[in-house]
Amino acid sequence: MSAMPGVVAVNTFREAVRDRVLYNLVFFALLMMGAAILVGQVSIGINRLVIVNLGLSAISVIGLVMAVFIGVGLIHKEIEKRTLYSLLARPVRRWEFLVGKYGGLLLTLVVNTSFMTVGLAAALYYVGRPFVRSDVTVLVAIYFILLELALVTAIALFFSCFSSPMLSTLFTLAIFVTGLFASDIRDFGALTNDRAMEAFTRALYYLVPNFHNFNAIAAAGHGDRIPLALVGENTLYAAVYATVVLVAGSVVFARRNLK
Amino acid sequence: MTRLSPGRASWKAIVAIPLLFAAAAFLQVRIDAQTRSDGAQQEQLLVSSGALLKKLSLGYDPLLADIYWTRAVQYYGTRVGEGHGDFALLDPLLNISTTLDPHLIIAYRFGAIFLSEPKPIGDGRTDLAIQLVKRGVAANPNEWRLDYDLGLLYYWRLKDYQPAAAAFLAGSNVPGAPFMTLKLMAASVAEKGGSIETSRMIFAELYQSTKDPEVQKMALKELRALKAQEDEMHLDQIVREYEKRFRRKPASIQELISARLLRGSPVDPAGFPYEIGPDGKSRLDPRSPIKPPDQ
Repeated sequence: MSAMPGVVAVNTFREAVRDRVLYNLVFFALLMMGAAILVGQVSIGINRLVIVNLGLSAISVIGLVMAVFIGVGLIHKEIEKRTLYSLLARPVRRWEFLVGKYGGLLLTLVVNTSFMTVGLAAALYYVGRPFVRSDVTVLVAIYFILLELALVTAIALFFSCFSSPMLSTLFTLAIFVTGLFASDIRDFGALTNDRAMEAFTRALYYLVPNFHNFNAIAAAGHGDRIPLALVGENTLYAAVYATVVLVAGSVVFARRNLK
Repeated sequence: MTRLSPGRASWKAIVAIPLLFAAAAFLQVRIDAQTRSDGAQQEQLLVSSGALLKKLSLGYDPLLADIYWTRAVQYYGTRVGEGHGDFALLDPLLNISTTLDPHLIIAYRFGAIFLSEPKPIGDGRTDLAIQLVKRGVAANPNEWRLDYDLGLLYYWRLKDYQPAAAAFLAGSNVPGAPFMTLKLMAASVAEKGGSIETSRMIFAELYQSTKDPEVQKMALKELRALKAQEDEMHLDQIVREYEKRFRRKPASIQELISARLLRGSPVDPAGFPYEIGPDGKSRLDPRSPIKPPDQ
């Protein structure tokens, strides 16, 4: 297999670091410190819960913002700067470029999330609670967030293959929100008592990415066990879905007229 | 117009920025003073449906639950400080918190206290507190503390002993609960409520299920006391019958036997004969080791 996607991925990561993308970690650190100090003074009995819920929500939101806003600009920026033309003149196939860009942003997100995980652990330590076995659920929840981000990044990149950054952002966010309400769409169809509508909403349920699968924040907050089978199934689901989206993106990008 | 050198410009900016911030803060104080009358309007719930908020939260409902619970605590604290006993938003805030996170145990437990405390310290709404805790029990069947809280609400606030005993008993069946303590509480509350049958059932089960000799001894003692209490109630019924027939109270058990209302002299579980007291009611022999349940 060609090493090109790896080269593109490393360069994309370097570019992200150069663009000071990781500065968001300062915001995250301040948020965690503020919450750890303040929450005990304004509420009752939820110090740890707030740190876990706030930390995981912040990791998710920051990651989503990065995945969407950087993802939609990755291809467009290369076209606008005309660097894509010199790159494609070399022995780099378009799909390799796309996969490399995807890998680079994913690497950025993994590094960013890892730092935030350390920050979250520090905040939990500060609120004075020793780590227990059930805290593994927090790590599983973070892993699920990463799977969610992998999927969102693929979708953002797909739209950026044929659309402007502004429209790609709107499309990606629309798909994300629709994916969160996937089960409601299916239930809505069942409520209509119309077979055709029911079949349509059911098909839609399986078609849109179900982002609800990756939400384990509540379980992490209460230290509930997450079955290992679910971890495996979610990993496969994200991998399969992201592959489908990236293949579709590659097809679109290969046919795109870059003149 | 003369141009400033970059060094001088940045010094001026360093001075100007804090000054401008101070000016903005001063203006905000003025604006706040003019709009203070609007303050009362701020304390309201724009969205009162927890289910709707859960949908709108886009998956961040646990964090939103924490925020609403904190808001409920702050609301309660502020209202207690004001001392007028108006807690109109407390129940909706607690409902939203627990709908957003049905496992937020602390909200059920403390929320029930806030709701059930008499005015002006609380809302004085034990009914709402019971509804809240019942929802908590339904959503968290493995949390015995909620059954315990429910039992306390019935026991302390409503003096309704049967549901209190039922709640303690339900809690004692939850895995990991201090089942013996809860069973004892259930039994004694049932006894207080006059349900000797329930109380005896619980003590009998406790006697059979425990391996602790001390607990067995105590359960046996309670079972004997309950038996004596039941005997006394039966004897008092016979005394009333005697009173109807002879228009006076009997002076002794012997008079009941002579009237053929009793076949022989009944004895308590320790083997001591029952007596008729000066008030005409049955009682235990003073030498009997059995003590009435309240002692």
